[in-house]
Amino acid sequence: MTGTAAAALTVLAEANWPGPGEDTPAQLPGFVQSTFSPVVAEVANRCLAARHEAPPAPAAVADRTAIVLVSASGDLAGATQVAAAVDTDGRIGPLLFYQSVPNSVAGHVATRWGLGGPVVCRCPLGDPLADGMAQARLLIDDGAADEVLVVAVEQTRDGAEGTTHARAVLASEGERR
Amino acid sequence: MRDPAGRAGLTGMAAVSALGRGPQAQLAGGLAGAAAFRPVRRFPVEHRRVRIAATLPDAGTLADELTGVVREAAAQAGLTTAERAETPLLLAVHGHPEAARWSDVDGPGPTAGQLAADLADRTGLGGAAGVYTCACVSASSAVADAAAMIRLGRTDRVVVAAGYLVEPDQFALFDAGRALAADGVVRPFSVDRRGLLLGDGVSAVVLERVDAVPAGREVLAEVVGWGRTGDAYHVCQPDPDGAGLARAITSALGRAGIEPDQLGYVNANATGTAFSDAAEAVALRRALGPALDRVPVSSTKSVHGHALEGSGLLELVLTVLALRSGKLPVNAGYLGQDPACPLDVIVAAPRSSASGYGLTLNSAFGGANTALLVGAA
Repeated sequence: MTGTAAAALTVLAEANWPGPGEDTPAQLPGFVQSTFSPVVAEVANRCLAARHEAPPAPAAVADRTAIVLVSASGDLAGATQVAAAVDTDGRIGPLLFYQSVPNSVAGHVATRWGLGGPVVCRCPLGDPLADGMAQARLLIDDGAADEVLVVAVEQTRDGAEGTTHARAVLASEGERR
Repeated sequence: MRDPAGRAGLTGMAAVSALGRGPQAQLAGGLAGAAAFRPVRRFPVEHRRVRIAATLPDAGTLADELTGVVREAAAQAGLTTAERAETPLLLAVHGHPEAARWSDVDGPGPTAGQLAADLADRTGLGGAAGVYTCACVSASSAVADAAAMIRLGRTDRVVVAAGYLVEPDQFALFDAGRALAADGVVRPFSVDRRGLLLGDGVSAVVLERVDAVPAGREVLAEVVGWGRTGDAYHVCQPDPDGAGLARAITSALGRAGIEPDQLGYVNANATGTAFSDAAEAVALRRALGPALDRVPVSSTKSVHGHALEGSGLLELVLTVLALRSGKLPVNAGYLGQDPACPLDVIVAAPRSSASGYGLTLNSAFGGANTALLVGAA
């Protein structure tokens, strides 16, 4: 983002999907027909667990922890299936309604961990993680958050439910504990 | 880098919706309470339960409409070619309109980032600096970031653009989700409200550091406060206790140093959905306390529909126009007070504004909330 000459944020925790030997993410209740949201939920959980051990996040940081989700592809499998159903007058399952925007899985993570900070979803203009970290920097500098969970996620069209990979970073201004 | 604490002034704005083209058409429709919902002709809807939306009959492509509003806003702000070339663009959209039907399955497909880069190029701006895809808080999030960038001295000027044109996929999803109002009317905060209706909304604003605006150019309003929070309550439903949205409102007022009794208007998020409107009413009471009894409230979604990723900016433009005119828009479709929404809702006729401060609220799936506080110049 424009004019970001500020120092890099401190990485408090991070996680990746897939890990060695991992292929299909665990099913995420309420989210269907795509691996996008299940991967986001899994990588976010791993990252937050590395910092906070178990949900919810401590009260001292929970309300001040933002979620920034960055994806150029978005839930491509979900969008493609909706488009195909529209074009062929096929049935559209009601669960696809809220999972059509990345906010919903961000809300799932926020609810599980009690995170009350801003929820921002972006399409990156360059490196996805760098885009997310720049957003995190702005939120912190503006006083909107103290910690930011950045999740960079991309999906390709391999397989009916897509192939998704993601990286999650929990960042703040402060020192690593 | 500039000194921090820059004030973000709005120097140009443009909007199109089913109410028509240009700011004056938006204000006229809002003041008249003239709901612009009509049968959908843009794509087949015979298999949909609801077949109505607020569409602009001669709307072009999303890219063309975004180009038009950016050019118009930049022209009102009096930006020279050189000034445009050094101004970054923040864009709020759902995604690239062609992405879901891209036939090259092995290729990356078009992205919202490309849409933004193309828009910046076509309008002579200094490149895209951010693309927001967070549903109904996309536009308002972009505005908050723009104001923050100016406040922090990272830039003197930003163009924010946002757009949604009613299209088959989101329409089908909202219909499948039983979110659309089967009676064809949007009734924010009203008894017997049945849900939302979608609407076209494409807008652009120019935000500039107030003390850097050249002499002879007008600052139309200031974004004096902003707040962003999450409910941490549910995947798609708002917290009925309104705590998250209340924190966003309090944050916006606090940033501006404004007390609730100085507020002259609230342009509510209210979509006409039973539980969401009620949650927002609770949030307003939590944040504003007894002062809420004297603050007129309306949701202009009652006339222009829900423009999704474009909604926050269209509603900001309407809020600015209303405050500048001294006349506050009508909350159309109102049948009577819902005990769960005890608000001073503007019905029947526009209300005079008692102050120059107005709050515009937006909420989205995932519990995302934004509050933007504007002060009329």
